[in-house]
Amino acid sequence: MESYNRVFEIERNDIGNAGTVASLTKRELKKRGLSRDFVKKVTIGVYEAEINVVIHSYGGTVEVEINEEFIEITYKDRGPGIENIENAMTEGFSTASKYAIENGFGAGMGLPNIKAVSDEMSLTSSKDGTNLIIKFFIHEDSYEN
Amino acid sequence: MKIKDVLNNSNFNLINNGDTLREINKTFASDLLSHVMGFAEEDDILITVLNNINVLGVASLLDFSGVIFSHNINVNDAIIAKANELNIPLLRTKLSTAEAVVILDKLGV
Repeated sequence: MESYNRVFEIERNDIGNAGTVASLTKRELKKRGLSRDFVKKVTIGVYEAEINVVIHSYGGTVEVEINEEFIEITYKDRGPGIENIENAMTEGFSTASKYAIENGFGAGMGLPNIKAVSDEMSLTSSKDGTNLIIKFFIHEDSYEN
Repeated sequence: MKIKDVLNNSNFNLINNGDTLREINKTFASDLLSHVMGFAEEDDILITVLNNINVLGVASLLDFSGVIFSHNINVNDAIIAKANELNIPLLRTKLSTAEAVVILDKLGV
């Protein structure tokens, strides 16, 4: 199957559209015959990271690349950055706004969830922006039997 | 156990046009979407007081069989319209989340 590569814009606080990238990615993965469990873990990762950009950043982009071997999703936002990555990676630690919490987010589970489902995760951050790359490798058993 | 079987119990009312023939895996109760994302499974029925469109985003991504709004909360029109589009059944109950969980357990969910 052909490689899939798309870039999406994510707007700050656009909670109504949050999940769009996850939903489109899920559709693409299902089309490729990948198993439910595999699709679920990728979807969780894409969704959580998408929500993070919406509720924590000034907005940014996400690039989704899917090929025969792996799925790589790259998030780049325009700041304000993560002050302490170690804290951010701790389950339950949250700096979410009241707005985010009112909308059901901000449990402090986003990054830990992403780390748990992905095969590789790279996170760098400065006040000018945060870059997150998550990767899932496709194996024979990633496909529906 | 299907959604339509839950609807036979007078505590639960259907408030949209979702697919009530969906089979329920189990009950999952939470108002934090990241917990739902992390721990719920396909075909679960979610009980929540979270009156928010993102509930449907998560319900759709995880393929939930339905969503129950507890405490008789008001569900806004945007949520109902989106659920109809996604064919996800929405139920409402005057019960608390905990009471709803107990009743569903007795019903065999």
